Amino acid sequence: MSHEQFLNLENILFTITMFLYLFSMIGYVFFFALKKEMAGKLAGYAALAGFILHTAALIVRGIGAGRLPMTNQYEFATSFAWGICLCFLVFLWKYKFRALGTFVMPVIFIIIGYAAMQSREVRDLMPALRSNWLAIHVSSAIVSYGAFGVSFAVSLMYLIRTRMAKDSFWDEHIPDQKKLDMISYRAVSLGFLFLTFVIVTGAIWAERAWGSYWSWDPKETWSLITWIIYAIYLHLRISRGWKDKNAAVFAVVGFICVIFTYIGVNTWLPGIHSYA
Amino acid sequence: MKKHLRFFFSMKFAIVILLVLVGACTVGSVIPQGNTMAWYAQNYSERVAGAVMLFGLDDVFHSPWFVILTLVLCGNLLGCNLLHLPQLIRRMKKGFQPDPDTMVAVSVIGRTQNAAEVFHSLGFRRIEERKTKDGSAFLYSVKNKAGIWGAWICHLGMLVVIIGFGLGQAFKTEDTVYGVTGQTKPVGETRYALTIDDFTVDLREDDTVSQYLSTLTMTDTVTGESQSGQTSVNAPLTLFGRRLYQNSTGWAAETVIEKNGEEIQSQILCAGEYMPIEDFPDLVVTLAAFYPDYQPDEKGHPQTASGRILNPAYLYRIYYREQVLGMNVLLGDEVITVEDYTIRFRNPQSYTLIQVKRDPFTPIAAIGGALVLVGLILAFYLRTAELWAVQALDGSWQLGGRSKKGGAEFEEAVGEKCLLYREVIE
Repeated sequence: MSHEQFLNLENILFTITMFLYLFSMIGYVFFFALKKEMAGKLAGYAALAGFILHTAALIVRGIGAGRLPMTNQYEFATSFAWGICLCFLVFLWKYKFRALGTFVMPVIFIIIGYAAMQSREVRDLMPALRSNWLAIHVSSAIVSYGAFGVSFAVSLMYLIRTRMAKDSFWDEHIPDQKKLDMISYRAVSLGFLFLTFVIVTGAIWAERAWGSYWSWDPKETWSLITWIIYAIYLHLRISRGWKDKNAAVFAVVGFICVIFTYIGVNTWLPGIHSYA
Repeated sequence: MKKHLRFFFSMKFAIVILLVLVGACTVGSVIPQGNTMAWYAQNYSERVAGAVMLFGLDDVFHSPWFVILTLVLCGNLLGCNLLHLPQLIRRMKKGFQPDPDTMVAVSVIGRTQNAAEVFHSLGFRRIEERKTKDGSAFLYSVKNKAGIWGAWICHLGMLVVIIGFGLGQAFKTEDTVYGVTGQTKPVGETRYALTIDDFTVDLREDDTVSQYLSTLTMTDTVTGESQSGQTSVNAPLTLFGRRLYQNSTGWAAETVIEKNGEEIQSQILCAGEYMPIEDFPDLVVTLAAFYPDYQPDEKGHPQTASGRILNPAYLYRIYYREQVLGMNVLLGDEVITVEDYTIRFRNPQSYTLIQVKRDPFTPIAAIGGALVLVGLILAFYLRTAELWAVQALDGSWQLGGRSKKGGAEFEEAVGEKCLLYREVIE
């Protein structure tokens, strides 16, 4: 197969993935709003099928481009959505509560929708990006952002749960607030560890490529801001009275920082990371 | 005093500092850094520009208040770690001891017939056997003791990163050397000179750059000793303990001055460089830009169609007593004549720009980063837990346990394992 054929195939897989994620999102909304068990099941299958095709799309693009698909806005956005979906499926498998999808799938769909609006052109890498650190740095960012995406959804669910009337359907499908808080904490822990890894590997790479491991570039600065926000979240949890609702609010704020670090910085604060 | 000191070292104060840091970083990333008062006045207003300059917001990350804030954070981290160290040592030495009579009083979190199986399935390997006061068999085990050091190591790592970075900022040296193949230039004020043995720009078929490669020799001008090697983007070279980075590139050309048909002066000028004419210093020539494949746009603005030297053109400027005398584009072999002097450009070639850096504190920051990661792994994934079991009269075991982090999850896991082995007791 030629590069063009690979990229055409990627295009088809990406489009099907988008529709499956859309279907999953709608299914989860029906499941949650109309309490339709079957809709939730179908939504879960659609998410899984979407994830498999999404993985295939990324692999095909990687083969077509002859490198890892993680170097421009489109590639990172689609990988970001993939990372959230991966973390969502892992958390779904581990904690077994379907309602999580109602809050995670819209995030995934928005991000993959953002990816669809970016240029899908494949370009050769500039010298600064030709490094083994690219794969380590960006793939850890994908896991980190994915975990933060899940923590955001769980925290949102937590905040909504506090306002929901008692209902046996929701009681069955949404864990109690204590467990939601714990799941959010687990997701933040995973995301925080990987974000630290992202910053450390980024610093090592920057030292090799730019001669300085820290330059206060807007992307670096906002990664640090995000890191500090989640560090505060983790510290506040230890303080009395800051678990639960307040922690959930902080997890939501943290994810807003993540989104700003990714999209906002690229849009409004250009720097040496302008290609990221 | 002690109270104030305790507050200074407290987590509450740390959170306050972190929040202020978030604010400072936000300001530092939103306000473009390193500009002049005039720039801020033009882009904001006189008032805002005044405030920016007054509070050092034009260079937030090097301003005294930011440095002080970072030092306060260091003090907090150091104090916090010093305060906790004795507690942690005490806990390691004496904290994890089986205390049957106290422990059996803690609520039961599960029952099983096969306690050893539950212990092992939960990762508790070394089981200590004791007796309670009333003679019942008692089992105790602890796992992931190292986990209690997680936060401490993480804080230590942060402290080491900040110290390494701070020392690096204070003592690192940084010089820039640029030139074309064959040139030798001094490395700043140091005793070293750098010779550019070769410089290659690898172009792909579509004219995009694949790699920049510089072969360099560094010579100690005092001892005459030399070291050589090649540097490219992402592959810095270390010579005489200094890191040499392939930073950027540009165009240069040999600038030739002739008088009465005779060449009287020639010098390689990198784009942007100036050259006064030696026997008429009031006249200065500069190579403003070079276009390797000149093709002006529709409005006549100079631009290049590719990165290959196919149709070279030189944008020059000539100054007489610092006033611009003329400016234009010279194609190929075209010349300019000013009074008795003829000026031409030839041998266009790429120049390389090498950054020569020395930061002996980078390894310290790297160690700090590694410590932060190790600390986080210990804190999040080596959760210290204690599990004990006391045998009831019917032979079954009642399990109890505690885990400071993720206690509910731990209890759930114990409950699940007990359920797994429940058939034995039912």
